Amino acid sequence: MSAVIEVQGASKTYPSTPPVTALHPTWLQIHAGDQLAIVGASGSGKSTLLAILGTLDDPSEGTVLVDGHNLSGMREATRSAIRASRISFVFQQFHLLPTMSATENVATGLLYTGAGARERRARAVAALESVGLGHRLRNRPGELSGGEQQRVAIARALIREPAVLFADEPTGALDSATGEAIVALLTEISRAGTAVVMVTHDAGLADQFTRRIRLKDGRVVEREASSPDLSCAHTSAGVSL
Amino acid sequence: MSRFRLRDLLRTAWLGVSSRPQRTALASLGVALGIASLTALTGVAASNQAQLLADLDRMGANLAIVTPAPGPDNTPVPFPETAPDLVGRVDGVADIGVFETAPEGVKVYRTDLVPETETSGLTVAVARPDVFGAIEARLAAGRWFDDSTRELPVTVLGRTAADRLGISAPGDRVWIGGQWHGVIGILESAGLATEIDTAAILGDRWVRGAFEGPHIGEISAMYVRAEPGRISGITDALASAASPGSPFVTVRALTDLADARTTADDSLRTLGMALAGIALLVGAVGIANTMVVTVLERRGEIGLRRSLGARPRHIATQFLAEAAALALLGGIVGLALGICSAATLALASGQPVVIVASVAAASPVIAVLVGAVAGLYPALRAARLSPTLALRAV
Repeated sequence: MSAVIEVQGASKTYPSTPPVTALHPTWLQIHAGDQLAIVGASGSGKSTLLAILGTLDDPSEGTVLVDGHNLSGMREATRSAIRASRISFVFQQFHLLPTMSATENVATGLLYTGAGARERRARAVAALESVGLGHRLRNRPGELSGGEQQRVAIARALIREPAVLFADEPTGALDSATGEAIVALLTEISRAGTAVVMVTHDAGLADQFTRRIRLKDGRVVEREASSPDLSCAHTSAGVSL
Repeated sequence: MSRFRLRDLLRTAWLGVSSRPQRTALASLGVALGIASLTALTGVAASNQAQLLADLDRMGANLAIVTPAPGPDNTPVPFPETAPDLVGRVDGVADIGVFETAPEGVKVYRTDLVPETETSGLTVAVARPDVFGAIEARLAAGRWFDDSTRELPVTVLGRTAADRLGISAPGDRVWIGGQWHGVIGILESAGLATEIDTAAILGDRWVRGAFEGPHIGEISAMYVRAEPGRISGITDALASAASPGSPFVTVRALTDLADARTTADDSLRTLGMALAGIALLVGAVGIANTMVVTVLERRGEIGLRRSLGARPRHIATQFLAEAAALALLGGIVGLALGICSAATLALASGQPVVIVASVAAASPVIAVLVGAVAGLYPALRAARLSPTLALRAV
């Protein structure tokens, strides 16, 4: 099985004085249906790794492959197209547009894909129903609870039927019960075939994912897989410690 | 390839503008004032001009005065008696009135007791009856010459002449050339033909019989009224018709006088353009300022859109469209404001309401261009923002 996203020796160094290495060379593969939790304290480099995996940022060294295509040297327009069709994000701060209803917010997930307004709307309603918000279609973000807002954000990510969903501290702004429910939703999504990559500092939440990597000071210090049905191939290969 | 449809772009821009009404109002104020002053001042200038043209038509813009010019011996070369006939046949001539040479040294006085030197700046003119129609004269009181009164010792006074002589109604008499003349009429102000205002006009046949002099009965001036808009094209034809084969003719169109007054309006229009330019510049700076702040505030949104697959170009066009929308709103408000003030000013001064159509049509376009130029820098800044930095900035 070929990886949807693969990083080979990717590192990130910021050219300050002295240069700061946020991420040391790292190897990682993400396959369809994966559940990967990236765990670490703040400043451990987990958000940097997520940005590189999600094509939002370029590594200083190493390569990133999406569907086998090398991203380095790729035009920004092509990278944007890859993001629009293959990759979705969920953020800690939800990033919902306050003047739009839930449906309109979810529909923006398809804004740059070329889909027509009617199709976007229909799929937005379906996506909201799939995350249990069929009764909140017309509400604006200000009228929704934190958990509901994050569900709207997840619906916006799912509407594109992405190959990989990246979640950057998705429960960071939520209470623990609501956070649990969001993580349960994310694991459920991965069972439908979408790989879910979650960055969290909460080891308890990470334990609910089948694969975990732990970062410390920009290095992967631990990799583990708790599900026997997942091949060891992509957990043990190319570990850089 | 990721796409961003035009309809979605416009809707997104509108959402950005409409979600912050107060800021939108303040940001577009400068452009509104610029467009308003452009519309208002060009409108006022156009109103003035329309009024002036109307005045000119009424007061003699179509008039030309054809007079004999001095010949080689430095005395005016008289027109042949057929001149009025020939001039009347020139294409474009609507009407013609003939003045004859006034008796030399004859002035008009209130009474026989007034010293000869106190002429009050008044003159004596000798008119054939057709003058009345040619200069489109109007009577303030009394009547004009007819076939019987042109042979009698009577006079029709110009407006200023009547005022200076202290005569307000016909029936009085004035002292002209050593005898009393009855006043039978007083003219309204003759507009551009100012010579008539200061004249006491005598009938032609009366003067021929009662006065003596070398030039009595000769044509001193022909007042030619042309069909509207024809005057400047026929002055040469008038000259040759008045005195065929002779260069000693002067044709003076009263519009020459008026031209000086239209140029005054051009300077008003220039002032309007300058004011509008300054206001639009200030408006552009205001919009640029607002957009820079907006881009800073919405870094999270920019990051989100990039994560959704928006290309830098999509981000740039979004903010460019927002800036243009801000300016367009200002332009529309300014256009309404400008039309209202131009109309109010015109009505208040009794002038016709004129809005320059080309300015009104160009206003929204100008506004959008101003907005686009103002939005360029903030839009490029937004486009260059790195998605990760943008997402972190909330």
